[in-house]
Amino acid sequence: MNKARHLSLALGAIAAILVAVACQDAASPPGHITAGGSPPPKEGGGCANFRLTGGGRVDQRDHLGYAKNTPESHDFATFGFQARPTSSCPPTDGSGNIEWNEHNPDEFGGGFAFHGRVTFFTTTTDETAGDSRCGRFGGLGRLNTRNNGTLENVPFEVNHACDVAEPGVGNDHIKITIGDVYTRHGILSGGNIQQHRLTGNN
Amino acid sequence: MVKILLALTLLAGAVQAQSVTGNAFGTYVNVAGIVARSPVATLPTTGGMATGQADTFGVPGSVDAQRLNAVTTGAVDNKKTGAQSTSEAEDVSTAGGAITADIVTAVVTSYFGQFTGGSDATGSGFTNLTVNGVSVTEDVAPNTRVDLPGVGYAILNEQIPTGNGVTSWGMTVNMIHVVLQNVLGLTTGEIIIGSASSSVTR
Repeated sequence: MNKARHLSLALGAIAAILVAVACQDAASPPGHITAGGSPPPKEGGGCANFRLTGGGRVDQRDHLGYAKNTPESHDFATFGFQARPTSSCPPTDGSGNIEWNEHNPDEFGGGFAFHGRVTFFTTTTDETAGDSRCGRFGGLGRLNTRNNGTLENVPFEVNHACDVAEPGVGNDHIKITIGDVYTRHGILSGGNIQQHRLTGNN
Repeated sequence: MVKILLALTLLAGAVQAQSVTGNAFGTYVNVAGIVARSPVATLPTTGGMATGQADTFGVPGSVDAQRLNAVTTGAVDNKKTGAQSTSEAEDVSTAGGAITADIVTAVVTSYFGQFTGGSDATGSGFTNLTVNGVSVTEDVAPNTRVDLPGVGYAILNEQIPTGNGVTSWGMTVNMIHVVLQNVLGLTTGEIIIGSASSSVTR
């Protein structure tokens, strides 16, 4: 159960052996995101007969493990979303929202908080195409950067959000692209992604 | 007999109303007559998504935090039900500076499928945590107690499981839970930073 323990002695020992560790954070290529863009093209994907919810954390890139980075690292993102197709398909319109918070200071704007509004929802078109566990959605959103202010109507696409297994940690994975310059793709180091039937409004 | 019990359990699950809960907040204080909680996100019991953001939160001498974010998402579905919540705060200082962190991240998820369920706080953590002026360079174990001389004590990465583990699963994680005490050791207030909770019921 909730077994408590004291850190006091341990902290003293840790202080004595502190070692400076250089942090090498991988980041998307430098570039610019233009506000007021058009939604990313929704063509290519098929009609999806499911909806998706998810939330959690991504640390490692490109499926290179799912461990949480070391405690001095800012190289991780957290997220939460709900997305679904809105009408009988076609067209592949969608609805929902996503929050994506990038903490890596080497990413666009020194890191950012992104709020996206979903306008389309389809099956996937990337390397996960044909995998019934994965969905694709996108739209436009507001980008609040740490260093560069706020950008409105920035296009985004969740290239895939995959509900592989329960629990989501170490199994589910997600890839997001914001504007032309930011992308993060990895297996969840925390949280979960779930695929649900198209019932109800939530 | 086992098959009968299993069938009865599944039948009972089918009859009961399924539900999810999700809550997240950045900071809560109850100090010297000041009671405040912000930002807050509360998931509807039928699922969906809720968010809360605040640029800053401060109570002099008690807590100071920037870029606070709370997100909770979830869905009810006979096939698969889940809820996940995240809470984050940056540039955190509390208990008169006795505890500081670049980023405080709380992540919880609760879920069940047709035969399994669970809840966990994997992905929760601190970035560049210091306690009583000493850097903590390793992940903090759940329910770690630290003494704060002249202030009281704190539970770091406090994890409180809920549910019966058969038809319901849940967890609350409070990344920093400061209990303020007077010279007699009596509790005079509390501060919570980075709180996320979720639960599911079959």
